[in-house]
Amino acid sequence: MGADVSAPDSGGHKKGPGVKKQARKDTKVDMTPMVDLGFLLITFFIFTTTMSTPKAFKLNVPDDSAKEEEQNQAKASGAFTVLLGKDNHIYYYEGQLAEDGSNFKSSNFKDIRAELLRKKASTPEKDLVIIIKPNDNSVYKNVVDMLDEMQITDIKRYAIVDIFPVEVDLISLTEGTSPPAAPAGGK
Amino acid sequence: MSKLNKIAKKSTWVDMTAFVDLSFLILTFFMLATKFKPPEVLKIQNPHSVSSINQPEKDVFKVSFDKDGKVFISFSPDKDGKEKAQLTAEVLSRQKGLGLTPGEIATFVNFSVGGIGVPIGQLKSFLALTDAQYKEFSQPGIPVKDTLNNQLNDYLNALITGTGGRKPENVMLNGDNGTEYPYFKNVLAAFKKNGIFSFKLITALEGVPSGTPLYKKQREGK
Repeated sequence: MGADVSAPDSGGHKKGPGVKKQARKDTKVDMTPMVDLGFLLITFFIFTTTMSTPKAFKLNVPDDSAKEEEQNQAKASGAFTVLLGKDNHIYYYEGQLAEDGSNFKSSNFKDIRAELLRKKASTPEKDLVIIIKPNDNSVYKNVVDMLDEMQITDIKRYAIVDIFPVEVDLISLTEGTSPPAAPAGGK
Repeated sequence: MSKLNKIAKKSTWVDMTAFVDLSFLILTFFMLATKFKPPEVLKIQNPHSVSSINQPEKDVFKVSFDKDGKVFISFSPDKDGKEKAQLTAEVLSRQKGLGLTPGEIATFVNFSVGGIGVPIGQLKSFLALTDAQYKEFSQPGIPVKDTLNNQLNDYLNALITGTGGRKPENVMLNGDNGTEYPYFKNVLAAFKKNGIFSFKLITALEGVPSGTPLYKKQREGK
């Protein structure tokens, strides 16, 4: 654009030979299309690139064939059972589940960490064991979140165990009675 | 007046060179930093975790499941992965009497990078597909839900038998957020049954919440 303007301009009021005119012609190159192209490519790369590379989360599972005595070793006093329900609901109880379900409590992913930390602080480390029992309609994300919670709270002993029918019943009972929006205490 | 005109004309030219320099610098950065996603047959949204270990890429055996419970297996495209894929196909063919030809086994190895998710009964007809057809083909997934017919178990058994216990170095589980637990449980059951007790879940990175024991531990460690 600048070259176009300056060419007739310089020819207008100078009477020197044509050779000189040519030499004095503007050497500037219009870079605008180059910038356009550059940014087009940048946009392309921004959209196709994946900045967050996936990470790996290590998981070791126990050998089921040799579990009987392992399970018995867990002291009832140090056990903390977390039940995963649907829609990110969590239920938990300490020790053994009372016959009448009085220690069966409802929680969510925000509050469970405090509960776990409280349990961890009040229990000798060798007795503490967290039992994770996903319900059949809980999702994979919740299981991983719970395992992640074990990392965050730095709890060494935890296990994923099959849920008991009694507990499934308690979950469906709680889910049936309390509105899903407010998981209030299910005492 | 004429002076004013001259000044106005001069100012219309903007030197773009610096701009070009900058844009190409950014462009170069993106070109070098980019890593194209490998083609995946399943759309998977990984859960988040605080784990910061990078996903390994060598000698990988991966089991993926999406939110509909479609289960796929895949091997890494390196030498170890290809060798294991081939052994798996050979043993599977022998165990199940599929009668796969060497050509079909080669196709298995080829497809195994992208992911294989067909019941064993359909494997032979599936391997007759061309590369283009493979991309179009909607694979039903390996049946796992039925405990009696957990075919992932058969695939894993073929892998373990074929490699003679030399398990893949990195057994990965790539699951979707919304997958219902029974699928995950059955995948785990198949792993346990074949003596694989240690594996890695693929997750997206998430910051460690401050004030938690892990956070304190990391602070002290540094």
